[in-house]
Amino acid sequence: MGGKTKSMLRLSVILLLSLSVILAGCGGGNKNATKAENNTGNQAATTENNAGDKVEPFEITAFIGEAGQQPTPDNKIYKKIKDELGATFKFEFLAGDINQKLGVMIAGSDYPDIMTGNTKLTAAGAYIPLEDLIEEHAPNLKKHYEKYWNMMKDPNDGHIYILPNYGAYNGEVSTTWYSGPAFWIQKAVLEDAGYPQVKTLDEYFDLIAKYKEKNPTIEGSPTIGFEILNYDWRNWGLFNAPQHLIGHPNDGGVIVKDGKAEIFADKDIAKQYYQKLNEVNAQGLIDKETFTQNYDQYLAKISSGTVLGFFDQHWNFQDAENVLITAKKHERTYVGLPLVYDTSITDHYLDRPALNLNNGFGISVNAGEEKAIKILKFWDRLIQEDWQKIMSWGIEGEDYIVNEEGRFMKTQEQRDTFTDATWKLANKADALHKFSPKMEGYFSDGNATDAAAQPEEYQAGLEEYDKNFLAAYGYNSYVDFFTPAPENEVSYPAWSVDLVEGSEAKIVNTKQNDLSTKYLPKAILASPSEFNKVWDEYVGEIGKLNIKAYEDRINEVLKWRIDSWTVK
Amino acid sequence: MDETLLQEPIVPKAKKQKRQRITWSMIKDQRQLIFMSVPLLAYIILFAYVPVWGWTMAFQNYKPARSFGQQEWVGFKQFKFLFTDDSFMRVLRNTLGMSIINLILGFVTAIVLALLLNEIKKLFWKRTVQTISYLPHFLSWIIVTGIVATSLASDGIVNDILMRLHFIKEPILWLSEGKYFWGVVGASHVWKEVGWNTIIYLAAMAAIDPALYEAADIDGASRYRKMFHVTLPGIKPTIVILLIMSIGHILEAGFEVQYLLGNGLVVDWAETIDIFVLKYGIAQGNYSLATAGGIFKTVVSVTMLLFANWIAKRLGEERLL
Repeated sequence: MGGKTKSMLRLSVILLLSLSVILAGCGGGNKNATKAENNTGNQAATTENNAGDKVEPFEITAFIGEAGQQPTPDNKIYKKIKDELGATFKFEFLAGDINQKLGVMIAGSDYPDIMTGNTKLTAAGAYIPLEDLIEEHAPNLKKHYEKYWNMMKDPNDGHIYILPNYGAYNGEVSTTWYSGPAFWIQKAVLEDAGYPQVKTLDEYFDLIAKYKEKNPTIEGSPTIGFEILNYDWRNWGLFNAPQHLIGHPNDGGVIVKDGKAEIFADKDIAKQYYQKLNEVNAQGLIDKETFTQNYDQYLAKISSGTVLGFFDQHWNFQDAENVLITAKKHERTYVGLPLVYDTSITDHYLDRPALNLNNGFGISVNAGEEKAIKILKFWDRLIQEDWQKIMSWGIEGEDYIVNEEGRFMKTQEQRDTFTDATWKLANKADALHKFSPKMEGYFSDGNATDAAAQPEEYQAGLEEYDKNFLAAYGYNSYVDFFTPAPENEVSYPAWSVDLVEGSEAKIVNTKQNDLSTKYLPKAILASPSEFNKVWDEYVGEIGKLNIKAYEDRINEVLKWRIDSWTVK
Repeated sequence: MDETLLQEPIVPKAKKQKRQRITWSMIKDQRQLIFMSVPLLAYIILFAYVPVWGWTMAFQNYKPARSFGQQEWVGFKQFKFLFTDDSFMRVLRNTLGMSIINLILGFVTAIVLALLLNEIKKLFWKRTVQTISYLPHFLSWIIVTGIVATSLASDGIVNDILMRLHFIKEPILWLSEGKYFWGVVGASHVWKEVGWNTIIYLAAMAAIDPALYEAADIDGASRYRKMFHVTLPGIKPTIVILLIMSIGHILEAGFEVQYLLGNGLVVDWAETIDIFVLKYGIAQGNYSLATAGGIFKTVVSVTMLLFANWIAKRLGEERLL
């Protein structure tokens, strides 16, 4: 008996010991972490002293609010940055749902040094105000954002938290690449119809109907006339088309007239569009599964080359189109068409790039002031032309060549590697460059800041099929299908208005989107005689919401923008 | 009546035993046991009782990165929003509907499969069937919903088989009709979990005294008789306990399935309480509403658990508490 008790005692002692080891292990980890922090702190201090002489290495931890891949450890651009500017990067890319991830980060105040912009983080007070620090420590950044300074301020408290990654231009803007919304149509459809000018929605669907009748299958799979993607936050495929059809630019869920915003989801201009969709659905042009598909299934369908048309933003289906290009199915890639209801309306799809508010990096409260200054100084260096060329074009001689006239060009081989995702991970600093402040437009030597905007490079890079296609229309690039953009309204675009988390405006907006997600598919799939009934029900349900709260919030911010953004 | 009479004197006796005075010598005798229970006790306090403090969030307009004292108190506002929202009754109905379907289908299929497996005498076949049927349990829902969506597509295997058997002429769009949604969810649950759920019943069946089967054999009982009168009564206590536990989870209709399979066309049938709370709570940064939803679910769970336990007691069955 005694022996048994003893062994029991021993057992419990072992258990207790192991528990304490585990606990000690956890505690120790924390201690080490703090020690490490102290170390970096010390290092930072020494750098400060030696600044100017030589670079002391420092690490920047970054959260990127979208899915992505880690660059390779021996990436040549990051290595150059490390050698010459001292900064090394530790990226965390989003995996899964952004809201959930941010919810967890906010709840634990667990922020890395820099984070891509998000209104949730701003609302939680996760970013530090940057305006004073930039004035003091980053003259080049200040110069870069000079024209946009007031626009970058948060309408709620007047501080600058996020450095917009796109939209700060120098000089005239010209591009050969359109990434925004349009009605897309397969090039084969236009080719087959003899390269017609397509202006209205009716012409567009007629073309699709004719092509589908002629070619019931493409490479053995049934031809799909029209796709509508409405999945999670990618809802513009279903929601946004009506505003464009009456000649307005992309303002998200509202139409802005004379500085006043109003929703259009339940208005007649929307009804006209959805009735047309209902009609073409009855003709069998719309994919039966279009409303049950997720984003991946949508991309899979497009990359199969069987989809003739859809309304979307170019960047949203870019991956699928790249698959078609890699497979050399150039006739199955797409042209964006700026459709309107009737020819008396001028299209306004193409817009002057607006400042990309609430996107780009902000510095978190956890970085500490010393580190924040280092980071700003780093960006201040990066925004200068020599580094901008490296970030955008690459290394001269390796990634691009300079011809006799001093123009930047690429060899075919360089062009090919440039679209290779694996090559990019080792030779481009895309994750950093995409969200960092950047020059757009032209360098002082006249070269475009982006290879896609260099006209002769674009022409030289065109595939034979596209060259012939554009020649048939007499255009230089696919952007020429659009009417040149007029000057933006000061307050444009309304879609970047922060509705403020948890506010009535945001809840109303969520509910309105829920109703649209529920009723619009129903209306489109209904038999044509039933359409009006479903539509009236939908309008009735929207009428029950406090839409005014939503419109008021947008109008409030638009008014604030007009007051504070107008250059006096 | 006799049974209750018999039980009556036992219960107070048991209570009396519990009330035995705790003496030092007793603690000394059981010190090893007490030591051993310390980590578990700490675990429960740390992970089950301390978080209840977070319930205070439900009565605030909680904002992250503010200290407790800086939070704004709003009373029952969050609960009011939750219960008065138009869609609340709908999501409650969906949750209960799918939960009950899952509960019934889950129990019936698992018990039937366990009974059938138990009758297979060839060990190889039994093991093979068991392994195949419980493998889907290890897939995550994201994969299962992918499989379900693909099989139910207009050119998927389900429509293909039904058309070849001439049950239907046109492919049915299973995922765009609200009336099919609960069934689809129930069937997916069965496919994924049926094998796993049988394990515990098979274990219970293995514990049945073989003498009972032999006695039944001698009395000339057929196979079905033995199933009904020996096997089923033998696993009855297990069934009741599992049922009580499941009833406690009646508001857990699942989240992933509905979230991943749902779409605009079936939203009236697919939205559960969890999705509602995600949409208007967490996705809006309104953590207080999410907490209020959590409290509501917990209260219902505990109530249902006690209720089911009470019923089981009244019926003279095995019970959990």
